[in-house]
Amino acid sequence: MIPNPLALIAEVTHRCPLHCVYCSNPLQLAGLSSELSTAEWVNILQQAGKLGMLHAHFTGGEPLARPDLTELIAAARAAGLYTNLITSGIGLAEKRLQALVEAGLDHIQLSFQDSREDSANWIAGAKAHAYKIELSSMIRRHKIAFTVNLVVHRQNIDHLEEMIAFIEELAPQRIEIAHTQYYGWALQNRAALLPTRPQLEKAVQAVEAAEKRLAGRIRVDSVVPDYYARFPKACMGGWGRRLMLINPAGKVLPCHAAEVIPGLAFENVREQTLEFIWQQSSSFQRFRGEEWMPEPCRSCNQRAEDFGGCRCQALLLTGNATATDPACSLAPAHHIVEAALAEANSTAAISQPISAGSFVQLQQRARSFWSYRTNPE
Amino acid sequence: MALPEDSSQPRLAAGCRWGGTEEARVILFPEGAIKLQGTGRQVLEQCDGQRTFGQIIQELQAQFTDADPAKIRADISQFLEQLRHKRIVDY
Repeated sequence: MIPNPLALIAEVTHRCPLHCVYCSNPLQLAGLSSELSTAEWVNILQQAGKLGMLHAHFTGGEPLARPDLTELIAAARAAGLYTNLITSGIGLAEKRLQALVEAGLDHIQLSFQDSREDSANWIAGAKAHAYKIELSSMIRRHKIAFTVNLVVHRQNIDHLEEMIAFIEELAPQRIEIAHTQYYGWALQNRAALLPTRPQLEKAVQAVEAAEKRLAGRIRVDSVVPDYYARFPKACMGGWGRRLMLINPAGKVLPCHAAEVIPGLAFENVREQTLEFIWQQSSSFQRFRGEEWMPEPCRSCNQRAEDFGGCRCQALLLTGNATATDPACSLAPAHHIVEAALAEANSTAAISQPISAGSFVQLQQRARSFWSYRTNPE
Repeated sequence: MALPEDSSQPRLAAGCRWGGTEEARVILFPEGAIKLQGTGRQVLEQCDGQRTFGQIIQELQAQFTDADPAKIRADISQFLEQLRHKRIVDY
């Protein structure tokens, strides 16, 4: 028997009021008409509880775009799951927050794009920053866990220290420093987002200093971006090992980006149970374990740590989903990542960091080098 | 970072709670879960925000008369400090 999954990632909608240039959602977004109903989600959450999962992570798009979110949180709690809302905060006023907490919401992870308002709004493609600050003080008045997530990249990483100090004022229990992952929209915008090596080194020092300074008050979580790492990330803790993701239309995926892999058929919760999909579907078995691995992974000591890295990244960068993740320094296709890094570190790079400037100035500049995430039909 | 004092009243931090089954109790927190058995579980079950650290230690010292009382105190202090670092316990 395959051990049970640990957590459910519920992508309840792809609709979002923000248009972040680093969004890792797929370019092919699921539209409103294809979204699962409330009853379908409640059924999924019940199945997840019975399968022994411990956490339900509500994400999207913006989960608050679903008017039935409170009901879904209540259903997750009733199924014995720890509930986590990953949100931009847009659409969350005091009354709704109160209702979510009463329904059993355990944790809110609120994203910030920057400490500087003009830059934050520019990155999000929406005027959201001021409201997020207001919302933070509302969240703190409730007895739930509060994490601030900060996505860092070439355009904001130079003032990471300032951003951490800004977040400290918001007084969350946790700060998550998330380096941009290059999928979906972020991959399209990679040239504008990939930091330089000096930028990264300075950021690592800033994070270490913050960890020490904030110890016991605010937990700081951060991961080195995989392009600059020696070994790839253990994507999703291994394919089909820990997590199941349900997309807004009910497709069950081993990870956020899996749909980019050609030749894989994904089951839908409308037709199959989670247990069947976890145990028996060909998609979940495809890269589970070590059988599928090519060399150098197959004989590598790291294979039980990183599981060969990310299958979607392998596909997106090499065209072959069974290749060793090119982020790995040992990968035959590592030159692809090295070329991206060389470009990012060249003085002729197309997009030197420009996070200072008015929103209007920034927007004008933006048109030339990145595209905003759009919304589904 | 400070260790708990005798008057501290340790408790699970906001957003952390018990879950799992009676045989396999876990503490759930945003990034995951910790499985707790034996003394670790016993200690955390006492961390209700009412009992003081001093009381919790005294009870354990009375229960484990073979063990060095100073070592019990040191071990439990460190255990709680680590969990506080992870924002799972507050005191």
